[in-house]
This record gives sequence, C-alpha cells and structure tokens, in this order.
Amino acid sequence: MKRILKAVANTVGGWFEARLRLKESVMPILEHPIPAGAAGPKGWWYVFGSASMTLLFLQIATGIGLALVYVPSADQAYQSLEYLNYRQPFGWFLRSIHYWSGSGMVVMVVVHMTQVFLHGSYKYPRELTWIFGVCLLLLTLGMAFTGQVLRWDADAYWGVGVGASMAGRVPVAGPGIVELLIGGPTIGASTLSRFFALHVFIIPGLLLALVGGHLWLVITRGISEPPVPGQPVDPKTYDAKYHEEVKKGKPFLGDAMTKDALFSSLVVLVIVALAAIIGPKGPGGLPDPTLTGANPRPDWPFLWLFGLLSLSPAGLETFVMLAFPAVLVVCLLLVPFVSNRGERAPSRRPVAVLVVLVGGTTLAVLTYEGMTSPWSPQMGAWSGDTIPTAVVKRSTPLELQGAAVFQNKNCRNCHALEGIGGKRGPDLSSVGVRLTRDQLIDQINNGTPGGGNMPAYGKHVRPAEMDAMVAFLVSLRPEGQPPAKTAGQTTKK
Amino acid sequence: MTLAPKWVPVWLAIAFLASGCNPPGKPTLPQTSGRPEDLKDFDALYSSNCAACHGKDGTLGPAPPLNDPLFLRIVPDAELVRVITEGRAGTPMAPFDHSKGGPLTTAQVKILAAGLKTKWGTPGVMTDVPGYALAPGGNSEDGMMTFMMACASCHGENGKGGKSGEQRVGAINDPAYLALSSNQALRRYIITGRPDLGMPSYNEKTNRPHNFKTLTAQDVADLTSLLDSWRSPATK
Amino acid sequence: MSEPTAPKPADAPTPEEPTRRSAMLWITGGVGAAAAAAVGVPVVGFLAGAVRARPIDWVPIGKVTDAALFPVNETRLHIFRNPIHEEWDGDSAKTGAYIRNLGKDDKGQEQFWVFSMICAHLGCPVTWFPQSALFMCPCHGGVYYENGDRASGPPPRGLYKMPWRIKEGVLEVQAPHLPTLQDTLEKPSDVVQLGIIKRDRGERA
Repeated sequence: MKRILKAVANTVGGWFEARLRLKESVMPILEHPIPAGAAGPKGWWYVFGSASMTLLFLQIATGIGLALVYVPSADQAYQSLEYLNYRQPFGWFLRSIHYWSGSGMVVMVVVHMTQVFLHGSYKYPRELTWIFGVCLLLLTLGMAFTGQVLRWDADAYWGVGVGASMAGRVPVAGPGIVELLIGGPTIGASTLSRFFALHVFIIPGLLLALVGGHLWLVITRGISEPPVPGQPVDPKTYDAKYHEEVKKGKPFLGDAMTKDALFSSLVVLVIVALAAIIGPKGPGGLPDPTLTGANPRPDWPFLWLFGLLSLSPAGLETFVMLAFPAVLVVCLLLVPFVSNRGERAPSRRPVAVLVVLVGGTTLAVLTYEGMTSPWSPQMGAWSGDTIPTAVVKRSTPLELQGAAVFQNKNCRNCHALEGIGGKRGPDLSSVGVRLTRDQLIDQINNGTPGGGNMPAYGKHVRPAEMDAMVAFLVSLRPEGQPPAKTAGQTTKK
Repeated sequence: MTLAPKWVPVWLAIAFLASGCNPPGKPTLPQTSGRPEDLKDFDALYSSNCAACHGKDGTLGPAPPLNDPLFLRIVPDAELVRVITEGRAGTPMAPFDHSKGGPLTTAQVKILAAGLKTKWGTPGVMTDVPGYALAPGGNSEDGMMTFMMACASCHGENGKGGKSGEQRVGAINDPAYLALSSNQALRRYIITGRPDLGMPSYNEKTNRPHNFKTLTAQDVADLTSLLDSWRSPATK
Repeated sequence: MSEPTAPKPADAPTPEEPTRRSAMLWITGGVGAAAAAAVGVPVVGFLAGAVRARPIDWVPIGKVTDAALFPVNETRLHIFRNPIHEEWDGDSAKTGAYIRNLGKDDKGQEQFWVFSMICAHLGCPVTWFPQSALFMCPCHGGVYYENGDRASGPPPRGLYKMPWRIKEGVLEVQAPHLPTLQDTLEKPSDVVQLGIIKRDRGERA
C-alpha cells in the first residue's frame, strides 16, 4: 500500500517537475548556503524577519477575509464592523487576529530592525537591504494608520483630522496636500474610500514588492554571519572572506528554516491567543463629528507621536510635526552610509548600544505619556468626579459652596483632587499648604501669565464665588498643616 | 502531527475554537447606541452628571444631598424637573437641559427627576411636614427667637459658627455663603437638615436643647426670613 | 552583426539599415509616449480631482428672532448637514457650529459669533462649557475664551470663525470645508482654488 502511494506521488510529482522545473530554480534558493554561525544557536537572532513576513501573510489572509464583508462606505462602514463583531460567525475573531497580527507585525519589524542595527548587519554589502527595510517599516506604519481609519469610528475620524491638520501646516502646499489626503474639502465618504484603496491596494502592493526586493538582496548578498568582536568589516576584503565562510556554511533549508518556522508558529499562536482573550479593537464611538463627548486617541503605534506633539514647546511644534519625522527617516536611511565598515559586535559599538537604549527609552516614555495623556482635560470631571467625602465632612458651609463652585466652573476638568480628575494642571489636594488666599485669587483671576496653561477666569467668577472657592481651596490641607503664608503676611480672617 | 508535548498548545487552541464556547475576547452587543442622547439609565446619568456635587450615592457631596427621603417626600416632581432643567441662577446648580445649554435631553432630565424618587424616596405623602415651597409671611425677628432655640447650639450666636460636639460648625451668616444659596435651599435645609453631615431635621431633637419643639411651618418661614436678612445688601 | 564573408545583396542598401532601425525606435518611442500620455493625463487629472474649486453654499440655521434657537449672550451648538458632501457620507456629513447671539449692535443689526468646532491646534472637536465660558479640546488640551480667543494650551491661534449672513431674517452659515491653519474659513487658501474642475453643486449654486 505504502509503496503504491509512493509510486503515485513520484509519478505525479515527476509530471509537474518536468514542466515547472522547480528543482532548478527554487531549490537553489532554499538551499543557498548560510554562514555556519547563523545556522547554530546564534541563529535564533535571525528569526524576527521571517516572523514579520509570516504576520504579513496572516494580515493578507485575514484582510481578504474581512474585505469579503466590510463595506468601505462612510455611511455603512460602522454597521458592517458591528455585523462582523456580533453576527458574522468568527467575524470578531478575524477582526481580532487582524488587529493583533498588525500590532505584532509592527513589533516584529522594530525588533528585527533593532537586531540588525545592534549586530551591524546593515554594513557592507547590505546597505540596500537596510534601506528596503526602512521603507518596509514606513509601509508597515502606513498600514497601521490606514487600518485605523478603516475602523471608521470617532478615533478614526479624528485621527484623519489630526493627520490632515498636521499636513495643513506644510508651507504653501499644505492646503492642497490636505485635500489630496482627505479626497475633498471635508472628511467623509471620499476620505474612507481613499484610505481603503491605500490600505488594501496601494500600500500592500508596495509592501509585497519591497519584501520581494528585500528577500532578493538577502539571497544574493547572503545572510550576514553572526558578529565576532575584533573582526571588522572592510569592503575591500569582505566579499572574499564571506565567500570562504559560506563554503563551510550550511544550507538554509535545514536548522535555520526550522528555527524560523518554529518561531513564526509560536508568534502566530501568541497572536491567536491574544485575539481570543482580549478580542478586537472597537469600533469605538460613532463616526459623528458633532458628538462632543469624543475623546480621540490614536492606536498604540502612534501614541509616542501623540505624546511628542503634546509635550513639544509651542515654538517648535510645527518643526516637530513636519521636519522631525522626516529627519528621523533620513537618519535611518543614512545609517549604513555613516558606518558601512568597522566592528559589528555590539560589545565594540557602545554608541550603537546607547542609541538603541536612549531611543527605546524615549519611545517607551512617550508612548506611556500618550497612553495616560495627562495634558488632556477630562471633559466629564466637573459633573462626574466627586469631592472626597473626608473633605466634605470637615468643611464649613462656605467651603462646601466653594467646592460646588469649583466643580461648577469646570476646574476639575484640569485639576484632580486626590488623584481623581483632570491631570493637566496640578493636583489641588493640598493646595492650601502651597498657596495663600491672595495667590489663589490672583491665579484664578489672571491664569498663568503670558497665556500659559491656565486660562484667566476673572470675568466669569463673581466675588461671592471667588470667596467661597478660595475658602475651599485654602481648606485643602493635610490635617494639622497650617495654611500657606507669604513672608511678613498676617493671617487673614 | 502527534500528541508530543510541543503540539499541546495547538490542540488546545483547536479544541478551544471548535468547542464554540465564547472566548473572553468575544465582544458582546453594547446596550446603548453610543449616542449620548440615548443614554436612559438613571445610575449612568446620575453618576456622570450629578455625582460630582451631590455625592456618589446622593450623600456627602458639597451640594444638598438628594438621597434624603424627607426631601424627596416634600419636593414636588415638577420642581425637580424644573431645577434640573434650568439650574438655580446665582447658585452653583447649573442648567442641564439642552434648551438651556446643558448636556441632557428633556427625556433624560425627566429620567433623573423620576429616578431620584424611585431610587431613594419612600412612597406616601406626609401632611404634617412644613411645605417645600417658599412661603410668604416670615418674620425675621421671630426667626431670631426660633434660631436661638433650635439652631444656635451648633451654629452659634447669629450663625457665626460654633461647635457640635467635637465637630467645628462653620458660619452661616457668611455673605458669600448666603450669596450662593437660594432661599429655597435654605428653607429646605431648615426642614430636612443634612442627615449625611449630622444636621437634624425640623423635628429631630439630636444636639438640641431639651425644650426644643418641632418646628412649625411658621417657624420655618421665620427662620428663612432671618437667614435672608443676613444677606449683605449688595447681594440681596 | 554583419559578417565580412557574407555576400552583399545588391538591392540591400546597407547604409540605410541603421536608419530604418532607429526610425523604428523613434516611432515606438513616440507611439509609446502618446499611449502613456493618453492614459496618464486623465489618471493624473482624476487623482488631482480631489483638489478643486469649492462652491460657496449657505446653510440656513434658523430665524434670527427665534430666542429658543439663539438666546442672547448664550453660546449654543448648532448641528447641520454640510452641503459640501456626498450622498453616502452618513453621519460624517454632520457639522457643528458654536453660535452666540450678541444682540443688536449700535446700528440695530444683529451680531453673532459663529465658531467652528474644529480646534485650531490639530483639528479635534472642542466642547463649550457655559459655566466657565471656555471651549476645551480633548486632544492636547487647547482652551479658548467665549470670544474664540486662545486662552491656554497649544493652539497657535483662536477658534476658526465661520462666515455668516442674515438673509430674509434667517441666519445662514457658509458651508465649511475642513479648516486648517493656512486654509481658514474666513480666508480660504488660494492653492485649493486653483482647481479647474468645478463641482456640480457649485454650478447649481
């Protein structure tokens, strides 16, 4: 029985092989020799690129699935997402995998890039491979942004708005770029259609073409050998040395490919598990630009930018928005030209390690800031965040009225009490220790001098309201602490 | 594929998906449409619109407590709707109805007003309680006599503040306090007290002299006049 | 190509061989360029069609004398469907304007403040808080005073003012495009007015 099956397989296989000639074309590629070091345990460093590609294919598969149901029309996109979430069998699951796999792809591409950077693999003769890689990173982020727009909820709508507002700052051409980007004078149907085309045809097409080019370069110039301290790259001698090394090398089809396959499978399993446990993202609030409760937030790959835009000083802002990302990309593109020779081992390249540490920490901090966004007023705090009951219990009637005025004047939207409320301004839980009555009155009346963080309330706080509110604020002190006094001031009242 | 340990996660995943059970990530149909005007749940409306000033469960906020059965018994339904709709000019109570520039629809205002009574009120009507509405005919001089008997033990002489046990009681003759309080709110406090902060109602003897007698409708009107007379001329 | 041993046919004009070939190349190049232009011009025109002259549409909001719509000295959010939109826009065609009736000026003419909801910083929707008379933006914390001036936070200017007019006793607001710093509602950018293709609605208006 077994023998018959084998014979049939051989005959059928032979028939196809006689026509396709795969042994001549594909097998040499699969079996191209890689340096022995890369096939050994150090080969685990080489699995991130293939994992990124695996996730790209998972994205294509789930994306095609979603496209069978999703309606890229501004008036029905939201409904079709709800249909996917709640009615289409496994619809939510496909959306969920697509979201988590997309997130995973961003992570994998960044990890892959970091590894390549730390190991100096971008040096001669792999400069172009790196440049293709940088473009792939940008395209991956492009997919993340356009994908967020296809979610056509409030975050998507305002995300496009923020992107357009940034583009609108480009000198002279800004308004034209905005109209090209959103497909007309306003955000709406043509915007969604345009982002659909970008997300489904244009960027994936470019991605696949560049992945092809990236792989072609990997195969023609070979996988870089694991770095060894004291063996610097010299473009004059590298090719001959690599040629010698590969002679002792191993075929890719073997341990190396098995490592790739195992790691990719594990990554897919993690993605599917996350998809099943955490579920899909959104759709969030309705895509109705007149709902004032909207609290737009970008998806996580852009939280760092959100943070950066909020924290950059006003004078530098347009630069940070427009020039800074361009500078960043140019820097990445220039990396292999600034250092295309010399040591590759991270232990001999302290600057490279420092760049990764500083860059990674900066991104992490900015992302965290973007996530907590302490600069955003809490729009519902004035009517929803309660005054701590301990404060209410010890307050006089005047202070109680002051607390009510404090809420009524929306102060809570920016000022927290005991950590609850807006974080834009300082927490006022113990403001009575820091500021005197007169200082408080001055601050409320005039705001931060020079149009800083606090508006001037002078015209909109009546004297009685001011009296009560300041009495309340002065009373906000830890037990036993006296109110703040300026030098030489006698306590009032 | 075999049953080797490394395939266990795969089998688990397949079993999980095939079982048709609902993984924790499966989204459930939202209860609301996502439009703020469609929010009809009293608790949600209360906690996002009222809780800041009136307290999380209707007590211990800076503004008059709403979770107060006595108050809910005497206050007319229409008055609740009106105050939520229009707010109280001059006081920190803001208007909440769209028509007055507030965040809620008329239907939502009605849900709040009705919900207060069903959630925290007690059924039945009290006849022997002084009425909620401001009554004319108060006399501030008589009010002073009543004040000395019924209020001064805690609020101090002329309402300048005092002590209730260990608890400090702040002044109520403060011009800013009075400027931000409507006579209606003052009358309501005289009748209901502030149970959450230990202030007795019109008929409670706690912390009051042994000869204290339940306040009559006239007493309440007199006391309201007295407090009104303490307002500074500028804000009157 | 030419082998020295090969006999030259008398009727084959050798010097003309390269000429004919280069002519063929020239013709191919020319036809190819014509084909590319024939496809390219409409495609580029199609893509650039997003940038085109804007029509000026006016949206009636309500009777100026209607005190419920325009209470004096109170700012209210008015929501309308923007005429600059497609049929399949759904809710995204809705637009809001914060309108404040300032009462009559010295000449007895009604005056209004009409502001776009779009924050001048990065385009998020601002919310009006009547008690503190401030507009607040939920994204990066921009705050504006009741007259639209910047009060605090990152916005580089005040709120975008929307052009308005009173026609037969009705307050009308000019249909807004997405305002950005160089393309405000009062002073639209010249760049986007370069478009050749007029919108249908513009021709009707």
